[in-house]
Amino acid sequence: MVAASLSTPTAAAGAAPGSWIAALLANATGVASAGADALAPSRSRAAQALAQTPLPSRRVEAWRFTDLAPLTALSPTLLSPVPAAQPEVGAGSLRLNLDGHSDPLAGISLPAGLEPIGGDELNATLGQVLAATGSAELWPVLLNGATARNVLALRVRGPVATTLELVSDAGDGEGILPLRLLLVLEPEASLEVLQVHRSGGANLTSFVLEARLGEGAELRHGLLAPGAETGCLLATVAVEQATGSRYSGVSAHGGWALGRLEPRLVQREGAAHSALKALQLADGRQISDTHSQMVFEGPDGRLEQLHKAVADGQGRSVFNGAVQVPRAAQRTDAAQLSRNLLLSDRARIDTKPELEIVADDVRCAHGATVSRLEQDELFYLQSRGIAADQAARLLLRGFCEEVLQELPEAARPWQPLASLLGEQGR
Amino acid sequence: MIRPDAPVLLEIRDLTARVEDQPILKGVSLTIRAGEIHAVMGRNGSGKSTLSKVLAGHPAYTVTGGTVLYKGEDLLSLEPELRARAGLFLGFQYPVEIPGVSNLEFLRVATNARRAGKGEEELDTFAFEDLVRERLQVVQMDPAFLERSVNEGFSGGEKKRNEILQMALLDPLVAVLDETDSGLDIDALRIVAGGVNHLAGPDNATLLITHYQRLLDVITPDYVHVMAAGRILRTGGKELALELEERGYDWVDAELAALERTPAEVG
Amino acid sequence: MASSATVGDLVSQPYKYGFVTDIETEKIAKGLSEDVVRLISAKKNEPAFLLDFRLRSYRQWLQMEEPDWATLGHPPIDYQEIIYYAAPKQQEKKASLDEVDPKLLETFDKLGIPLSEQKRLSNVAVDAVFDSVSIATTYREKLAEHGVIFCSISEAVKDHPDLIEKYLGTVVPGNDNYFAALNSAVFSDGSFVFIPKGVECPMELSTYFRINSGDTGQFERTLIVAEEGASVSYLEGCTAPMFDTNQLHAAVVELVALDDASIKYSTVQNWYAGDENGKGGIYNFVTKRGQCRGDRSHISWTQVETGSAITWKYPSCVLQGADSVGEFYSVALTNNRQQADTGTKMIHVGPRTRSTIVSKGISAGHSSNSYRGLVQLGPKAVGARNYSQCDSMLIGDQAAANTYPYIRSQQPDARIEHEASTCRISADQLFYLQSRGIAFEEAVSMMVSGFCRDVFNQLPMEFAAEADKLLALKLEGSVG
Repeated sequence: MVAASLSTPTAAAGAAPGSWIAALLANATGVASAGADALAPSRSRAAQALAQTPLPSRRVEAWRFTDLAPLTALSPTLLSPVPAAQPEVGAGSLRLNLDGHSDPLAGISLPAGLEPIGGDELNATLGQVLAATGSAELWPVLLNGATARNVLALRVRGPVATTLELVSDAGDGEGILPLRLLLVLEPEASLEVLQVHRSGGANLTSFVLEARLGEGAELRHGLLAPGAETGCLLATVAVEQATGSRYSGVSAHGGWALGRLEPRLVQREGAAHSALKALQLADGRQISDTHSQMVFEGPDGRLEQLHKAVADGQGRSVFNGAVQVPRAAQRTDAAQLSRNLLLSDRARIDTKPELEIVADDVRCAHGATVSRLEQDELFYLQSRGIAADQAARLLLRGFCEEVLQELPEAARPWQPLASLLGEQGR
Repeated sequence: MIRPDAPVLLEIRDLTARVEDQPILKGVSLTIRAGEIHAVMGRNGSGKSTLSKVLAGHPAYTVTGGTVLYKGEDLLSLEPELRARAGLFLGFQYPVEIPGVSNLEFLRVATNARRAGKGEEELDTFAFEDLVRERLQVVQMDPAFLERSVNEGFSGGEKKRNEILQMALLDPLVAVLDETDSGLDIDALRIVAGGVNHLAGPDNATLLITHYQRLLDVITPDYVHVMAAGRILRTGGKELALELEERGYDWVDAELAALERTPAEVG
Repeated sequence: MASSATVGDLVSQPYKYGFVTDIETEKIAKGLSEDVVRLISAKKNEPAFLLDFRLRSYRQWLQMEEPDWATLGHPPIDYQEIIYYAAPKQQEKKASLDEVDPKLLETFDKLGIPLSEQKRLSNVAVDAVFDSVSIATTYREKLAEHGVIFCSISEAVKDHPDLIEKYLGTVVPGNDNYFAALNSAVFSDGSFVFIPKGVECPMELSTYFRINSGDTGQFERTLIVAEEGASVSYLEGCTAPMFDTNQLHAAVVELVALDDASIKYSTVQNWYAGDENGKGGIYNFVTKRGQCRGDRSHISWTQVETGSAITWKYPSCVLQGADSVGEFYSVALTNNRQQADTGTKMIHVGPRTRSTIVSKGISAGHSSNSYRGLVQLGPKAVGARNYSQCDSMLIGDQAAANTYPYIRSQQPDARIEHEASTCRISADQLFYLQSRGIAFEEAVSMMVSGFCRDVFNQLPMEFAAEADKLLALKLEGSVG
């Protein structure tokens, strides 16, 4: 527990946001990481930038509906979580536990096709995908950059049969758990990754994943993030794709006081395939937010995006789905659908597709729906003797499962639906 | 009906054409007189569909040599719409869907454009509706099709019937029907063929482009041409089609191979 | 305006309204100050409440910042370089049209809007606004027989101050946004329509706006009130001469519909768009909002936006009354260097309110065309419905089409559906039409009007037939 060994945290929760950052930076600097600190130079740059960047306010379009209050209520310290109980590792999976300070590869033998990236190469590569996707200056990325103490960086060659599980559990400790990940897929490489991030208390899980896909490479990427009523999640997934590559991202998050996911994809020369399937849940007073961005920088690219959201209680769901098709991106085929269930009259849904096109030979369609459960479907189930509330639960499950079933097989022991709906003991 | 003294409607001489950088037609010659029905047969990729598109003036195809005379005048210098107004009709293999544009309006504008080409007066909307309802019977189409957008959501058979309806309205001198039989069930084929037979007369001519014999069972051609690798390899009567049906296209390959060994260009 | 002959004239040349009428004009010195606001009010002999409204709005405007969130770019506007009042010199508005300066009548004749007894349109009443003032309104007596008031807003201030005081600024408050505040401070003229309880307006009403002076801003204000069970269809048209400087047009339109009332508001906006290099043209920064105050009331906006260098405009409906209905049908065409950021806001407040949005954007040349819309369902909008469709057609690979639909709901018992697509005029479609004898330009026109059909169907009938030709004309040379 590195953070615990520090002196008293500099600022109390609830102080002015600017001082929250100042306190966090004061607490974060000087915390040594295990092994060589490859991140030191970039961390100090990010810290400087963060200190000079005002907290995102609701006057900024990208944060208009997303209040940072749950975040600045947290203790501005670094968290080192204690190991928590986990389901057994399934056959065909390799699980790496991320706690923000120890080396997740210690004592692990990597399967064929996976090798760590280190030294100069790491320094040269880190941050490139963030830059390529225009993510380097995002506030959650700066926050992560200013606090992360180590990075898990892996190169992938050829097809890797093992599913890589990257797991963190912030537990009930207070503070911030910053995680930094880098995946470099060589041409024709393929990999399946499942990220599971859990929390049980007043803390922030911040992660930044950079993934570079070489020509013809394939990354199947699952993310399951069931949160805690007082916990926050700020996640950035930056993906740079070469031609012929396939990125398929399936994410599910919910249960966080503030949970925000920012997938940012760029097809550098087009002619790649990107798929984003997401489910987000907001109940209680939670905020579930996804800001996705897809940029096609060359022709013949493809995007299939399905974003599903459920807002219940006094929850708030926010989706902003940007798709950019510049002149070079002729024959782009992009489809985006935002489907929202609004289950309570005190909940809110804000959804906004954002399509920017400067190419004439393209197919870009988007759609959005907001409604409660289908009355016809409810009635049908009721007419078969199923009680109304049970019928509603069945339909809600069906709505969620359409996305959850697309998670990697390795997600099953983590009980995606039950964990997101808070129906299981931790 | 072959009448050696009938006027020549279409005369194709040594026609060569490419799409992008790919030469497709490598010297096609063909003469069509009034009253005749010609069939061009050949495998996929033999150039037969290209021939139809070049005749209609599709912008993706570039003519690189040869001439096409239509009623004795240069066809190739005309814009596509002027060819249509002069009486050349292309029945598309894949009729294009045009959302938002009503079929009825499209047919009316096209019919009046052709009438202007013939020096006839424009039909007003009422006179046109009478005409179109009469011609609908040629292809046994439901008038409801008139209210829909051009070809949008039509089945394959409906699209082809819509093509023949256009042919019935535009009253062409030379109708080029590109794979009109593809994708048709037997009933639709009979309706379409019935329409073509109904419209064929002593003063016009038909050029059928097809892959299979079955269309020629219901429309009897006067001439059959076999196309391969961008050339017409052989010309005969309707019995040539039967021969093809029986022997398949393999002999064409043999003949073609022999041809390619011959250095001289064959017309 | 809405006869086919005049619309035919309207589309016969790329921009035939670029002429300037040589007429002596009374202008006040350029620049904006509290004194200017007072001077405008004084010239119009306005009652105190209106001067107060203007001054309040002016002071609020001073505190506001020009909006920059739309995807628009233009050099900063110098508000001190604009003339806020320009009027053709003639005495009091004439009782009879025969006394109106013939040069003005001639101008409107030339624009296809004949005003004189002999030539005026038989089924449309027209209010003609020239620079800052209304010069004539036709059929006033006939309308008055039905209790319908149709006059310039300046006259309404004099003749019906109670109605103006009751309704002006109640839909678009003086501090609503930067341009609305500016308008509220300096508005010069515009139209006023009042349809009393139970009356179905016997004819189409139309206002024709003409900017003539080169350095004048146009700040008209329109107010339409339909009482219980009343209904009206209103059409506005606009043109301006070709100047190579930009001119500001910041209008405000307010609609009020009480129980069971219905207002249909159609716009054909053909302000000068600048030349092909983007020099000159109107900045069209307009606030239009309708309030369905009454139960079962109905407000429908239809717009065909083809002109202006820059358009910033979101005709909106506030659906307060139970079962009230809002509609927005829009065709926005941009070509050359034009920029448009337009759409609508449907604010569902009352129960079972319904709204429909159909937006068709056509982008050609180097232009930029953005749809920006908000559908908001409040907590009381039980059973509300919205359906939106916004389609873009791109012509050439230099034009931008952006779509920003904001959807916000706090009402579970409601349904929102949004669909959007893009399309182009494909070479195959053009060839197919050509191969049936249809000329290239006509083929383009058929396809553009097919794309816009859902919107054109909403226009007054005489106009719809010609609207597609207007678009085809604007697109000339941009396809192929």
